[in-house]
Amino acid sequence: MSQSCLDCAQRPDGIFCDLPPDALHEFDRIKSGQSYPRGTILFGEGQQARSVFLLCEGRVRLWVCSENGRRLVLHVASPGEVLGLSAVLSGRFYEVTAEALDRVQAAEIQRKDLLHFLHEHCDVCMQVVHLISEDLHEAYKRIRSVGLVRTRHNHNHNHTA
Amino acid sequence: MLSPYGLDIIESCLTCKMRADRLFCDLPTAALQSFESIKYATAYPKGAVLFVEGQAPRGIFVLCKGRVKLSICASDGKTLILKIAEPGEVLGLSAAVSGKAYELTAETIDPCQVNFVKRDDFLRFLKEHSDACFKVAEQLSEKYNVACHEVRSLGLSHSAAEKLAKLLIEWSSKNGESMKQEPRLKLALTHEEIAQMIGTSRETVTRLFADLKKRQILQAKGSTLVIRNKAALRSLATTG
Repeated sequence: MSQSCLDCAQRPDGIFCDLPPDALHEFDRIKSGQSYPRGTILFGEGQQARSVFLLCEGRVRLWVCSENGRRLVLHVASPGEVLGLSAVLSGRFYEVTAEALDRVQAAEIQRKDLLHFLHEHCDVCMQVVHLISEDLHEAYKRIRSVGLVRTRHNHNHNHTA
Repeated sequence: MLSPYGLDIIESCLTCKMRADRLFCDLPTAALQSFESIKYATAYPKGAVLFVEGQAPRGIFVLCKGRVKLSICASDGKTLILKIAEPGEVLGLSAAVSGKAYELTAETIDPCQVNFVKRDDFLRFLKEHSDACFKVAEQLSEKYNVACHEVRSLGLSHSAAEKLAKLLIEWSSKNGESMKQEPRLKLALTHEEIAQMIGTSRETVTRLFADLKKRQILQAKGSTLVIRNKAALRSLATTG
């Protein structure tokens, strides 16, 4: 079910959606679109980051988990967003788990193809910089609001936001 | 020859010996030459504030030598130390890129050499050098990784004991110490600063250290801490 970006009726405002035609053609080649049923885990926290997922349709919940199974939802991604971007760029592990909240249509792009694409298209790279910068801003906001850890005598108090 | 604050100032990026080892500095010669023309090499003593959370972004600060404490002000007014930046890190990056206020406060904990670049010059530099642009994306990704780690830690950790244990394990895993039976680490921060890193009080940190020493999990040898019982510390880091 790999639809071409050029035919996409949605073309939401995400950076990879709003590319000039020649870049979009190239992007079309490196992506592989797929449909995922609700509940699918696209990638797991701690896994080696091998690809990014451009969300075309549906929503994806991003959460982190403690060793004893407690979850903290960081964000719910909507169409046009790129998942796993910073993990793939830093060459490390996914910082979050991505779970499909609805039936999801997403385009997967392998790390090496993405890196090559970004090297070729400096303006897209700059937009990626802005994107990650936004993500970082949100993370800092979250840090400010989550506040302080409880001390030992209150350690039964639950902390999930 | 007099050098400010005991630092040997690195005048040129092109001849800098650390160039290859640092993510941002490892740029092609042409880009680095361009960078040379827009940077201002400055020296700061320990305890100098480079920028304050909430300030309008003047530019970026590339940390060449020394370490910088990065902190954020939590909603209840307490200070949280997010990270100790090491040489090679670019500070104020996301603010310079987005044009939004600096997210963190940066204060030197050693005498530092910092290369400052004005915001407009930096943005122009990125447009002209795609390699640099890519490196910025990489650096920002690393920062995001750290921030996520912190959100996770703050939101999910049970206790200060757990967070302190995690921090000690992280610090002891530098310089190849993690392989040793009894890893060592040098405490670079005061109890107050450690408290700010893990979001608790100085008294709690002091009490926790005393407790760890009493239980023979840690041993102090001057300013060096020796982890006598790695397994016990690891266990504390997951259950508190």
